[in-house]
Order: sequence, then structure tokens, then C-alpha cells
Amino acid sequence: MSARERIERVGAAALDALAAGGQLARTFGATWRGVFRGQRPAGEVANQMYVVGNKSLLFIAVTLGFIGMVMVYQSCLQLERITGDLSQVGPEFLKLLVQDFGPTITALMLATRVGAGIAAEIGSMVVTEQVDALRMSGVTPIDYLIAPRFIACVVMGGVLTVFGVAIAFLAGGLTAWSSFDLNPRLFFDPSRVRFFDLALGLIKTASYAMAVPVISGFCGLRARGSSEGVGAATTAAVIGSSLAVIVLNFVISGAGLILVGRDP
Amino acid sequence: MSSPRRGAWAAPIETFGATAMQVAREAGGIAILAGRVARCLVPPSMDGRELVRNMYRMGNRSVPIVALTTFFVGGIMVIQAGMYVKQFNAAGLVGWGAGYAIFREIGPVLIALMFSGRVGSNNTAELGTMTVTEQLDGLRALAIDPIRYLIVPRVVAMMVMLFILTVVGDLVAIVGGALFSRLLLGLEYSTFYYSLIDNLNWTDFVHGLVKSAVFGLSIALTSCYFGVSVRGGATGVGRAVNAAVVAAAVSIMLLDFFLTYLLP
Repeated sequence: MSARERIERVGAAALDALAAGGQLARTFGATWRGVFRGQRPAGEVANQMYVVGNKSLLFIAVTLGFIGMVMVYQSCLQLERITGDLSQVGPEFLKLLVQDFGPTITALMLATRVGAGIAAEIGSMVVTEQVDALRMSGVTPIDYLIAPRFIACVVMGGVLTVFGVAIAFLAGGLTAWSSFDLNPRLFFDPSRVRFFDLALGLIKTASYAMAVPVISGFCGLRARGSSEGVGAATTAAVIGSSLAVIVLNFVISGAGLILVGRDP
Repeated sequence: MSSPRRGAWAAPIETFGATAMQVAREAGGIAILAGRVARCLVPPSMDGRELVRNMYRMGNRSVPIVALTTFFVGGIMVIQAGMYVKQFNAAGLVGWGAGYAIFREIGPVLIALMFSGRVGSNNTAELGTMTVTEQLDGLRALAIDPIRYLIVPRVVAMMVMLFILTVVGDLVAIVGGALFSRLLLGLEYSTFYYSLIDNLNWTDFVHGLVKSAVFGLSIALTSCYFGVSVRGGATGVGRAVNAAVVAAAVSIMLLDFFLTYLLP
């Protein structure tokens, strides 16, 4: 491959990414419009809430519970070696959970489960030409397909995050109690969580919950071909929404740090 | 199936039983697949060209996404540590905190989740497409064992490549952490470096790498299992990809918990 071809390839990839970013932004705008003004099937929002929320409960409970146990175990292990004082583990863990790990890990799990589900569902509707049928009957696919999932994700993302934080904190407390003989009264202490932490956690939750359905729906609508295309769309949805969660986390946490730095 | 006089309590129990049966069926299927793969590996006999091709596709092509993710993760870890630095004036602990978290927990788990999203789901989609288009039956008709030809190279490639990607990702995360601690916290590179080197040893790094190899095996087995057990066209492929990423995420969290206890 000559140098010129290489540069051309990089340029083509950059242009593709730019175009996709523009389309994604337009989809995001269209979704908001669909939320307020679009038409959608009756009961679809409730239906999607059930699929996004209730059906993810077990998944979130298992994953967040285990990660809570692991994190408390690892930090107790390290603290015991260095300072030997475990009394701060619980309050600090809750603070970290509320402002960062709770929303982020729940959102990563949601990107995996719900994001892949949305892309697979919409993608198979595209390749079986059901979306074209919707367009022919004068319905915007974004209003009809993405907007209800968007509302469901925003509501249920918040609910699942609260649930996940509770489960992880409980599992962590039980680990500290059973493995390190830490008094649960010392562990279950919410006094360290400031309003700022709660606000940061809520902002993160809301932004993740908006990013995941839009990116996944967008990837689903871009599906081409047949079963291969659906698979590729699902993969793109999982990767795109996970990456979006991590980048958003970085941006919001960084903004939070700078704000705290100015106003201690 | 259902008796005419069943109470309202029957529905949740039925759901619970159906879920349990489903989980048991999938776990059993994965275990049988693991046994078949193991039998092909003693003595090792597989298609070498297929192995190299898969290693390139799964490993080399995933480097950008892994590097991008872990770069931001390093930044996020430093931002989290930075909140404490401002509170307790403990700049000397940033490298240690970020390094410990990245090497032992966040690095392997997040890289495995991204790997499962990109490579695992891609693999399920590919094998699923081959299954629904009856290419696996075609292989069998030609007296080629699909396990030996398709599955074993993928399993080996994913294990090896996730291990290598974790090495790369850990290092990128540390570089990202050092960079952002300079930019956001005004910390010298040498402070970060010595804080990392003085407080951590090889076991922390190896702890994470052992985890990543096990995660690679579990991602490979779940994604191959859901790929070859696809039923029903494009919709089935989408559903299989979704199920595979969910199963991989759950198994990563579960294995992470047990390995944390078992490993030093």
C-alpha cells in the first residue's frame, strides 16, 4: 500500500466518522421532537419500560452485587495492608458509588443488555422491511421506534441506578462484615455523601440513559443486508454506547473536578 | 399444562422456574461445548491459518477501541483520586490508587466488557449467520468437524488476544492517568511514576492478567455457544447476539468475584 492510499484511507475513515456523528446528532434532535410531538402506539412506553426495567432487574442485581463485593474486598485488602483502618471504607464506598461507579456500571450493563436489544430489534425490523412499511404509512420510524424506548430508558435508567447502588452497597457491606469483621454500623453510614455527589451521579445517570437508546436505535436503523447486517448493527450498538458512557463519564467527572477545585 | 384452579401466585413461580430452566440449559450447553473444545486441544489440533486469521481480526483490529477506552478510564481514575487529593492533600497516593484499581479490577473487567461487545458479539453474529444459512451443516456434510475448524481457533484466539489486549490496555490506562494527573491536578510525571512503582508489585499486575485470560475463555465459550444455537433467521441472530453479550457480562462479573477471592 502506498503512502497516498494510507492517507486516503485515514481521511475516508475520518469523513465517515464525521458524517455518522452528524447523523447521530440529528437523530438525537429528532428523538426529542418525537418525544414531545410524535405519534406512537398506545401503551408502547409502558411496554418498553417493562422490557427495559423489570426484565433487567435480575441482571443488574447479579452484576452490581458482585462488583460491589469485589470492590469492597479489594479496597479492604489494600487498606488493611497499608493503614489497617477500615472504618472509612463504607462511607467512602457509598460516596464513590453514588457519584461514579453506580451510574456508570449500571449504564454499561444497560448498554450491553438494553442497547443490544434495541439494535437487534430495530435492525431486524429494518432488514425485514417493516421500517419501510412504517415509512410508507406516513409514520416516522424515529417517533414510532426510538422515542418510546428513549422515554423508557430515561425513566428506568434512573430506577435501575438507584436499585444497583443499593444492591452494590448492601453486598459490599455484607462482604466487609463477613470477610473483615467490620461492624455494619460503621459501614452503612451515608454521612459522607454530599449534595454535589448526588447531583453529579444524577447528571451522569440522565446523560447515559439518553445516550444509550439513541445510539443503539441509530445503529439499528443503519442495519443493511440480512442476518449479518443485524449482527453488525448489534455489535456497533454495544460498542458505541459503552464508549459513549465512558467518554461522558470522563467529561462529566472532569467538569465536576474543575468545579470542586474552584469552590471547595 | 396449567391446572384449571391455579392461584395468582402461580405466575411468578412459573416465570422463576422457566428462567431457572433456561439458565440451566444454557449453562449445560456451554459446559458441553467447553468439554468438546478441551478434547480438541489435547493433543492440540486445529486449523493454524484460521487461528492466525482470527487472532488478527480479534486482537489487532481491537487495539484502537481498547486503547481509546482505557485512555479515558485512566483519566477517570485520576479524576476520582483527585477528589481525595484536594480533600486530604495526598498527591503522593494518586499513582498508587489509580494503578491498583486499574491493574487489579477496572482494567481487566472493562477491557473484557469492551472485548465482549466488539469481538464476542461479532463472533456470535458471524457464527449465527453461518448457522441460519446452514453453512455448519455444509461443513459437516464435507466431513469437517465445525468444532475443530471454527470454534477451537476462535476460543484460543480470544483467550490469547484478550490477555495481550489487557497488557496493552493497562499500560495505555497508566499513560492516560499520568497525563491527566499532570493536566488536571498539576502533578509531576515522576511523582505519579514513583507512587506507582513504590506501592505496587508484580502480583497486582499478574492478578489482573490471570483474570483477563479467564474472562477471554468465558467470552469465547458464551459467544460461540449462542452463535451455533441460533434459531430463526435475522431476528434470531439479533436475539442471540443480545443473549451472548448479556451472558458474557454476567459471567465476567461472577468470575471476577471468585478470582478475586482465589488469587493472591
